[in-house]
Amino acid sequence: MKFAYYPGCSARSTCAELNDATHLVASKLGLDLMQLDSATCTGARELRAIDPAGFYALNVRILALAESHGLPLMTICNTCTLNVLDAHAAFVSDPELAASVNARLAGENLHYSGRTKISHFLWVLHEDIGERRLRQQVVNPLAGLTVAAFYGCHITRPPGRYGFVDSRNNRALERLAEILGCLPIEYSGRTECCGFHTAAHDERVAIKLTGQHVLAAKAGGATAMVTPCPLCHTVLDSFQPEMEKDIDQKLDMPILHLPQLVGLALGLSPEQLKIDRHMVPAGVLDGYAATASTGLK
Amino acid sequence: MTSVSPGDAPVPVFPPGDGRRLGQAEQHDTLAARNSRLTPGELLTVKVRRSEAPEGGAVCQEFQVPYQKWMRVLDALNWIAENAAPDLAFRWFCGSKMCGTCAVRINGREVLACWEAVEPNMVIEPLRNLPVIRDLVVDRTRYEDKVASLEPWIERREAYVQFPEPLTHKQMKDASKALDCISCMCCYSACPVIGLGNLTDFAGPGPLVQLGQTALDPRNSPEKVRRSLELTGIFNCVSCYKCEEVCPASIPIVSRIIEPLKAKAALLVPEMAKHSFALRDIVASRGRVDPGELVLRVQGLRALGNLRRILRLFARGKIDPIRTLLGIKTNAAGAAGRILGNKTGKP
Repeated sequence: MKFAYYPGCSARSTCAELNDATHLVASKLGLDLMQLDSATCTGARELRAIDPAGFYALNVRILALAESHGLPLMTICNTCTLNVLDAHAAFVSDPELAASVNARLAGENLHYSGRTKISHFLWVLHEDIGERRLRQQVVNPLAGLTVAAFYGCHITRPPGRYGFVDSRNNRALERLAEILGCLPIEYSGRTECCGFHTAAHDERVAIKLTGQHVLAAKAGGATAMVTPCPLCHTVLDSFQPEMEKDIDQKLDMPILHLPQLVGLALGLSPEQLKIDRHMVPAGVLDGYAATASTGLK
Repeated sequence: MTSVSPGDAPVPVFPPGDGRRLGQAEQHDTLAARNSRLTPGELLTVKVRRSEAPEGGAVCQEFQVPYQKWMRVLDALNWIAENAAPDLAFRWFCGSKMCGTCAVRINGREVLACWEAVEPNMVIEPLRNLPVIRDLVVDRTRYEDKVASLEPWIERREAYVQFPEPLTHKQMKDASKALDCISCMCCYSACPVIGLGNLTDFAGPGPLVQLGQTALDPRNSPEKVRRSLELTGIFNCVSCYKCEEVCPASIPIVSRIIEPLKAKAALLVPEMAKHSFALRDIVASRGRVDPGELVLRVQGLRALGNLRRILRLFARGKIDPIRTLLGIKTNAAGAAGRILGNKTGKP
């Protein structure tokens, strides 16, 4: 199964370990990823507000790159996912916009006709790999590892569009955790916001909001948290010392990228998955990592 | 769709598959599923959060309410008031999703009592982020004062071009969405940034929708819109879409109100949009975001204040000061420059 793979900005800078883990896990799962190296940023939340035309052009260009290879697009960042979904939706519903965006791409000999399927890695695991094949690949069930699923916002909302259901009812991460042998916990932060998108100008919002979520996960008995979004990861992990200061309490909550959790269950080691690149040490997970005999083949 | 689909049909916006819907069935999240879980006469367990005043301690009082077919939360509240607790305070007027007075929280979720099917077990609470007067009745003053402070009206100095004035649906497409607002304050209660109190100057989703009714109207004078936008703190919206999720009028609050208002703010009060312009410049010149440069440009020297964090991030290879300071481009820089232009988008 082959995908055009769009890592985004975070996975190529602050969360480079996510990109590495994705490639490793994908190859274990038999996913052939063709990384779109010339793909730009999708514009985060900022560009879409101040320069919609530029926003659509950047995102449709990414879709056109995938289409030029005849491949579906796989993303690993929530905000990127929503941006390309939004751009695709606007493109197919507004012929005028479609024509103007294609005119902007013509200089590169690119053209989009609206045929690229967009899927986040979390959905690929459920829809394209499937539970049965995934179970067969789990050589190191993470038996008894209590994890708190942190979905974030942009692959659960806006409701009613792109197949999103009421975000309270998302179970894709918990279901996946169960398949990997983990015990997903219930807590109030599951589909809440990490506050990343205003953190560059005022990180207090992110620290206050996410501090509550990590605290709730800890109170719910989580050993680690897992997130499908590198932006959430940045706040959950890199800002954790500030959260601890803010609530005057130790949190020590390891935060895993989604492919890292999958990778552990597939027998990859924490070192291979670069879990040591996180700010919060994840030594507690060593007990769940595969032993050398199952780990490195 | 002529220009879009020369070959195969375009992929629908949501390709079939269940990654996103996983959980919907097992959580019974449809009206039919909810209604079919209950039979008339069956007892609902309804816990209502009751209190005398904001400072007075709140207690949860439990009631057993017999289910009637198609029962709404409002019907359950009325049953309680008539049969078990005549002193229960709650607001409602129209009972048909028009007046916006009956909003409450059911099991942690903002709803209109008149438009929500009951669940077998319900905790009913007043809206958040507003002082409670009694039981389920909140004081709307904070919200209404905010709306009024934004001066949500149209001002214009020039004479009309003609009468009736030419106005297209397209020009009014965002403002007309805002006009669906019934001021129920569900979004105000659901907003996590408003939930942080006075930490920021964010006006909140509801007041912004109220402002959008006139600020997104092309007839309004830019000077008036600028004056209002300056008071909104709109760039503190975290784009979580929580407001959209609870809006009973189904207003796309983030994409059709807040983002168009941000676009106006970027034009009329560019200093508010510093973060957005910095991101645009960085993407245009480098192709992808350099987080170090973004923070430096937005925060200036303040960014260097937290030296411990900088060292921490550097130690784990999370930031690359050399790359940041030398302005090293990514292999996407060429494409981004062609699309966005290398000049700043700032007016």
